[in-house]
Amino acid sequence: MRSRRDVLKSAVLGGGAGVVAATALGSLGPEAAFATTSGPELEPGTPDPDFVEGRIRSIKDNTLFVLGSNMVFHRIRVVDGTSLWKLGPVPFDQAKPGDGLYARGVRMPDGLLAAESVWLNIVNIKGHITNIKDQTLHLDHNGKEVLCHVVAGKSVAIRSDAPPSADLSMLKVSQHVQILGAWRPDTNEVDIATVFSPH
Amino acid sequence: MARNPSTDPPADLLGPVQGEVSWFCCGTAWGPCSSTGKGACGTCNSGSLQHAWPNASDACWSITRPDRCGVNLSRRTCGFRHRTTSLCGGASVVTTIADCGPQTDLFCGERSCCGSTCANNRLIDLTPAAYSRIASLSTGLRPCEIATG
Repeated sequence: MRSRRDVLKSAVLGGGAGVVAATALGSLGPEAAFATTSGPELEPGTPDPDFVEGRIRSIKDNTLFVLGSNMVFHRIRVVDGTSLWKLGPVPFDQAKPGDGLYARGVRMPDGLLAAESVWLNIVNIKGHITNIKDQTLHLDHNGKEVLCHVVAGKSVAIRSDAPPSADLSMLKVSQHVQILGAWRPDTNEVDIATVFSPH
Repeated sequence: MARNPSTDPPADLLGPVQGEVSWFCCGTAWGPCSSTGKGACGTCNSGSLQHAWPNASDACWSITRPDRCGVNLSRRTCGFRHRTTSLCGGASVVTTIADCGPQTDLFCGERSCCGSTCANNRLIDLTPAAYSRIASLSTGLRPCEIATG
């Protein structure tokens, strides 16, 4: 049986034979994908060659040209089997120049990353709620204010092991929370996907 | 409220310990992460296979205080290896300590589950590179097992 990594490689080598990738990979549910393949063991503490961090500088066809925050340049190929996230699953056309991203995939011999997953503008920050006004949580994150916006139909709260709830009314000022969301590029604002709170 | 120091050996000296794993960014970065810095060890990067540990030093312990949640973890310093295994599928990753965290006491008693498999309290934070080897970043928080690497 071919591995997910092999399928991604062949999708790129075949010039983006996306239909092959999507069919062979089956469901792209994250847990299923990560349960089956997490790649070869790497030296702990070192950079992961199959991972990219940075911001999109330009997009051509199905390739993202990304400048890492460490000023290293990357090319990321998106195929039909690639999952993209931007406050939730999104199609490729939602990727925009200026977006921050993390991406995981398979590094090709020419340096291209064949993407398995691309997370656009994703942030996972912790802090104290300092104010709640309208549909916005004001979060003190490492001494800086981040405005976290509730997005109807998207934002949920998870209190410990309770099921996700669209009702965020239980959140209180001074409470410590973790907010997973999508950063609005070049601002201190985030759209909320999930608020995790212990109580 | 002050608690008496436990005389029991740390849970992670007796074998693997179960808890919650999340992810955090460090090093050069974009967005709200851009001011995070390179962590307590001075080596932390989001793209490297690293993690934060609540008992990396006396100063670290005084901030994270997992003992307030009834968890006693061993002192392990910069560079020490842990293996984190997701309880939601079994994928694992070995990483080295690069920062202090998570702040366990602020989430005392929190519980994450995959179906009927659950774990309590935040015991480890992975970099995005490490977390994304065992789960999607969009999950944000997962139950896990931690052992020495």
